[in-house]
This record gives sequence, structure tokens and C-alpha cells, in this order.
Amino acid sequence: MDTFATLIDALFSPLWTPVLVGALIALLAFTQRWLVDQPLSCSTGFANLAGYLRPGTARDPQGDWRIVFLLGIVLGGLIAALTDGAPAWQGTAAEFGRFYTALVPESTLGSAIWWLVGGLLIGLGARLAGGCTSGHTIAGVAMGAPASLVASAVFFAVAVGTAQLAAWMLGV
Amino acid sequence: MINRRNLLFLAFGTTFGFLLSRAGATSPAIISELLLFEDLRLLWVIATAVALGAALTWLAWRFGWRALNTGEPISIQHKPFKRGLIVGAVLFGLGWAGTGVCPGTALAMIGEGKWFALWVGAGILVGSGAGSWINHRLERG
Repeated sequence: MDTFATLIDALFSPLWTPVLVGALIALLAFTQRWLVDQPLSCSTGFANLAGYLRPGTARDPQGDWRIVFLLGIVLGGLIAALTDGAPAWQGTAAEFGRFYTALVPESTLGSAIWWLVGGLLIGLGARLAGGCTSGHTIAGVAMGAPASLVASAVFFAVAVGTAQLAAWMLGV
Repeated sequence: MINRRNLLFLAFGTTFGFLLSRAGATSPAIISELLLFEDLRLLWVIATAVALGAALTWLAWRFGWRALNTGEPISIQHKPFKRGLIVGAVLFGLGWAGTGVCPGTALAMIGEGKWFALWVGAGILVGSGAGSWINHRLERG
């Protein structure tokens, strides 16, 4: 009975053991390849969605599953938030952490522009690179793709370098 | 459109979003702890996902495991070296470090009620559209 209670508690805890989540993500990504021969992919779905929203673009139903997958991620986040026993997100400094609280502008308008421009860089970068942390790093590197290895190395090197430099300049 | 394939991908996406959240990848604070080497839990998540994924890929290749939908051996798809790969990866790294968000986690965050991610998601959508257009031009030129 105690084991059962422990398992239930673990299921509803907001953070799972890293190695366990990583293994489950690998199994999920592989199941997708096994069932439908399609590696994990996020940013391409964004590109398809952007294409659909542009007037006069012919819709390619073959790519619909990518957008359905993105919709599922939203649903998964909702389920996770409803079952983690933690209070709802308030957007406090503690929730954003020391670094992002110092980095992001304080005003409503300033922060909105910051997030929007950050998103633009992410979307544009992912398309030029041909993938993101899902398609290149989790799926591509696991398949030993040279382009994915290079892209992932640059993602991490630039992100770590930028964050370290910004943290040093901000003194946080 | 509702069909078996789309329902399956809805389930895949839901599981992925749930796992991203339980990993801590949807918390900007935890992303900053990864990038500043203060707490490496996300590094272990990524390393485990990649290592086990590579092992499964090898097993599938070695023993010729077949995909259920095609009946053919599970394909090992190598993404191409795009002309804009390095520039794109640099821009992506800047955006990722600047916001603590990536395309997958932006969506999970929206589901979790982290509303700032709506701005990031809108940016990703517009940026993706622009990126596709540039890719198209690069491939033609």
C-alpha cells in the first residue's frame, strides 16, 4: 500500500526524476517512429501553421498531423498543470527566476516586445537551421545526423554563452 | 480533420507536452539554471533522451525493425545541411537564451497558463513563416 501511495505522489509531483523523464521522452519519440515512421518534430508544424494562416496558400492535408501534434502539446501542458498539485502560475519573480527577472524589461509593453522578438528569433532560427531542440537535438542527434549534431552544438554553445555573458553583465 | 493518424498524433503531442512539463523544461527559471550551469537536471533529461534514442535507433537498424504503417524498416532520417544552418542555429540560441523558451515548450507553457508564452508563441509563428520564405529563396538562388 505504501508503494502505491508513493507512486501516486510521484505521479502528481511537478518534477520527475530527470533520467526517468528523459527515458520516457526517448520511448515516446521512438514509438512515433515505430508506429508511423515519423521522427519527433515541433518547429516544422509552426511553419505549416504560418503557411495556413497566410491568405491564398493552398493547404496540404499531408502536413495536418504536425499541427495536431502541436495542439496536443498545449493539451499536455494543461493536464500537467492540473495534476501537479502546485498553485497556478502567477508570473512572479520567483517563478521566472533570478536571471529572467533581471533580463526581461519590467513594463508590460517592454516585456511583451521582448517575448515577441525572442519568439521571432526562435522561429526564424529554427526554420533556417531546419529544426529545433526537438527535431535536431532529441530526434536528429539520436539518429546520428551530422547536420543535427552541428545545429545542436551551436544551439547550446550560443545559448550558454549568451546567458553566461548576460548574467555577468547584469551581475546576477 | 479527425482520422486515426491525427488522433494518434494528438496523443503523441499530449504525452510530449506533459513530459516537457514534468521535466521542468517549461520553467524559465530551470532553463536559466541549465544555461548558467547552476542545476543540470535538464541536461540529464536531454542526455538520457538522446542516449536511449540512439540505442533504440541502433537496435532498430541492426535487427531491421519495421515500422507498422509502412511494413518497411524504420527509416533513419538525416536532416540536410541547410544553407542557413549556422546562422539559423545562432539566432535560435539567442532567442532560446533570451526567453528560456523553445518551440515545443512555448506550447506546453500556454497549456499550463503561463500567458507570457503566448507572446513567444506568436513570435515563433511569424518567425517560422519568415524563415520558410527565406529558405525558399535560398534554395532557388
